[in-house]
Amino acid sequence: MWKYVLRRLLVMIPIIFLVIFIVFFIMNITPGDPVQMILGNDPPQQAVEDLRRELGLDQPFFVRFFNYIKNALKLDFGLSYRSRRPVFEGIWPKFPTTLLLAVLTVTVSTVLGVILGIISAVKEYSAVDVTLTFTSLIFASVPGFWLCLMLIIVFSLKLHLLPSSGVGSIRHFILPVLASAIPSAAYLARITRTQMLEVMRQEYIRTARAKGATEKRVIFKHALKNALMPIITIAGTSFAAALGGSMITERIFGLPGIGNYILTSVQAKDVPVVMGSTIFLSVIFMVMMLLVDLAYAYINPTLRSRFSRK
Amino acid sequence: MSFLDIRDLTVVYTNGRETVHALNDFSLRLERGKTLGLVGETGAGKTTAALSIMRLLPERTGRVLGGSVTFDGADLRSLKEEEMRVVRGGKISMIFQDPMTSLNPVLTVGEQIFETLELHNIENRSHQQLWERVDEMLALVGIPPERKKDYPHQFSGGMKQRVVIAIALACSPQLLIADEPTTALDVTIQAQVLAMMDELKQKLDMSMIMITHDLGIVAQTCDDVAVVYAGEIIESGSFEDFFMQDKRRHPYTRGLFGSIPNIDSRERRLTPIEGLMPDPTNLPEGCRFHPRCPDCTERCRTERPTAHERGGHVIRCHLFEKEGE
Ligand SMILES: Nc1ncnc2c1ncn2[C@@H]1O[C@H](COP(=O)(O)OP(=O)(O)O)[C@@H](O)[C@H]1O
Ligand code: SF4
Ligand SMILES: [Mg+2]
Repeated sequence: MWKYVLRRLLVMIPIIFLVIFIVFFIMNITPGDPVQMILGNDPPQQAVEDLRRELGLDQPFFVRFFNYIKNALKLDFGLSYRSRRPVFEGIWPKFPTTLLLAVLTVTVSTVLGVILGIISAVKEYSAVDVTLTFTSLIFASVPGFWLCLMLIIVFSLKLHLLPSSGVGSIRHFILPVLASAIPSAAYLARITRTQMLEVMRQEYIRTARAKGATEKRVIFKHALKNALMPIITIAGTSFAAALGGSMITERIFGLPGIGNYILTSVQAKDVPVVMGSTIFLSVIFMVMMLLVDLAYAYINPTLRSRFSRK
Repeated sequence: MSFLDIRDLTVVYTNGRETVHALNDFSLRLERGKTLGLVGETGAGKTTAALSIMRLLPERTGRVLGGSVTFDGADLRSLKEEEMRVVRGGKISMIFQDPMTSLNPVLTVGEQIFETLELHNIENRSHQQLWERVDEMLALVGIPPERKKDYPHQFSGGMKQRVVIAIALACSPQLLIADEPTTALDVTIQAQVLAMMDELKQKLDMSMIMITHDLGIVAQTCDDVAVVYAGEIIESGSFEDFFMQDKRRHPYTRGLFGSIPNIDSRERRLTPIEGLMPDPTNLPEGCRFHPRCPDCTERCRTERPTAHERGGHVIRCHLFEKEGE
């Protein structure tokens, strides 16, 4: 078990290097000059050259890349071009907003998706099932930004029920959470339905009925527990992904989360911030995925015993 | 009236436009404490008969069109669902064909035995007492009680079937329906499991329906025999009627027993009879067996034979019409 965790952690190292390289490379070839961004239009030639040297931009690509890695290994991710302060001083304050959004989104989408999926499966082919299946197909396929805009139009502009942007209170989170949760709830409902129907066909469900179990018990104790196995992985993955900040949602609803921060940093060519946040997010994502796998192995008896034997 | 008395049970499955006539006027009787062997080719309707007794036919497709099932004086078809739940697992238990799939993979075997006990805990025994009973049941089927904390995948096929048997017997049912309980197991394990079932049956004084297509199993374990063909019982009688005499015999059964000179023979499997079972969506007119019957007459093609009885030995065939008079 610990061997497995260690192996997974070791595998992360080359992946992080690859991520760093790719982002570094992309930031290098995209248009826009950070010096110009910082100094504005028509700066004196001398100032430009000084700044280039100070930022190390006068050196060739691979030298810069190598230097970056060298510093990163010492956990020094450089200074933000804009604020001239250490990169993580800018990133940390954005994290709580993103974390809250992710927790709320995954909770809402999982609860909603699983419940609707069970209803659909238990009432297979009924009017309820057909309606749910059709609706979830639509919501699983609409573009994210469109849903954000529709929610704002309906609930803020027309009904004046909820604020359309900002972070003042928990009410500010309702629309962004809905916008992110609805599509994934729709997806989860479809998966849950399929899984439940598959499980309900199994022989052990008939065994449970033959014991005299009530239908409720058959569904919740015998079927759901089996059907939830793949759903745990999906919910865990979407939580890990949500921790990366949903850029579109955060941007549209004006939430100061990590996604939004990365977007503005990319626009400003603030390379150290982009690099730092990307590394931060990839580490979080990979650790989350490891935790999801461990949780899955813990819940699934077949895998659990295989682990403990190791 | 017999302990279990099935009369003219008619069951269909409807899938889209097709109607499968799985049971047609299926009649069967079983006395208390006896074992009945229900024999027939795959697709004859054996499992359907068992599921109909338990009222566990697939909800959307399977439907009982007529007939009655009386068990210990109670008309099972008219029981309310909650009354039926008391019967299931409490008074009648069923063992399914494939032990590999009939246990829930995410519950320990102990939990699965415990659940049955908890569902039928009429005497209000404490959890501790129920868990003691779990240990007892495991010991009874020859599994060390410590293994109650293990999951099904940690057991071999034969051991799983023992667990399934422990679940079925936990509440001391009056009737056990075993649907090909050993077909999925390899031969050496088959004998062990059968011997164990037989022993437990004596010990617990149960009635049993042993569904099988293995005549050897019938010869070893059964007091009575019934042969199913295309959803109807074409011959039924005592062990002696089937194994001790061979004058009175339905032409289909005669074919089945064709290669068996006596009980000790090694070739005890059903011998394939020429031709195929009729398509249950399109059963032949007259006698269901007539396309394959060597004794088929003109009458057999149009007129469905009725059941003719002599001394408890019932045969559904025109050839035996006159002898009862
Ligand atoms: N769920 C079902 N839907 C449609 N047809 C079925 C279903 N279950 C069984 N049948 C059909 O009913 C007939 C009897 O099947 P079954 O009772 O399983 O036979 P046996 O147990 O004797 O092999 C077969 O023709 C089979 O194909
Ligand atoms: S009724 Fe006719 S066809 Fe049917 S088994 Fe008897 S002899 Fe054969
Ligand atoms: Mg069968």
